[in-house]
Amino acid sequence: MKIKLFGMLKTMIPGGKDLEVDFSEGEQVKDLVHTIQREYPQVGELLEKKKVLVSVNQEIAHWDTVLDTADEVALLPPFAGGSGEL
Amino acid sequence: MRSHYCLPLREDQANYELRRKGNPMAVELEESMLVRVQLENFSIDEELHRVRSRSRRIGGIAMFLGTARDRSKGRDVSSMSFDHYEGMAQKKLKEIREQALRDFAIIEALVLHRYGPIEIGENIVLIIVGAEHRADAFKACQWCIDELKKITPIWKMETTPEGEVWVEEHP
Repeated sequence: MKIKLFGMLKTMIPGGKDLEVDFSEGEQVKDLVHTIQREYPQVGELLEKKKVLVSVNQEIAHWDTVLDTADEVALLPPFAGGSGEL
Repeated sequence: MRSHYCLPLREDQANYELRRKGNPMAVELEESMLVRVQLENFSIDEELHRVRSRSRRIGGIAMFLGTARDRSKGRDVSSMSFDHYEGMAQKKLKEIREQALRDFAIIEALVLHRYGPIEIGENIVLIIVGAEHRADAFKACQWCIDELKKITPIWKMETTPEGEVWVEEHP
């Protein structure tokens, strides 16, 4: 399964491209997270701390969301549109 | 006597509904122009006109314009660049506009954000809200920009003397 990367995550992965991870039909987001933790520990750590969210089909996913091979999956670092100061 | 400075005749709600029934695609196109994520700069005058021309009932317009500043978190910034999730970013801006129209006593809202490289001083983000009265316009405008920052997948990279840094506004 291909996983889209954005922002700082692109700079953490050699080549800065999408992640390619093994995936079995019926797996949940948490299974995918475990695979990422194993294969890409730096990214996995951010997922564990909830600093990076997982989206499925352009919506924030829960850890028990069941994945389908046709799903569009992405890892989203903290958003930063505009500025954080009021 | 009508002022020479009047913009072209603005629609009232009844005309808008008629056109919606007659040509839904044209209305959809108009609405898509009210929610955009784009590379190029935007004209504030044009966008302001876009909002005010939606209804003659608008009596107050509030605007928020975010621009690129040259200092951030104690560091000089020479330029910046925005990454975005194509599709999801547009979807979230659309949700923000639709929720603002539902939850506030406003008539129209426009939400734009740029992506790609942006020089210091340039426009980044624009919110324009039209309402009958200013209090509702101000409230909805603030809500829109706060919500944009919470839910829109857009990321900022600043170029500083120490190199390029991804900004985490909401760790």
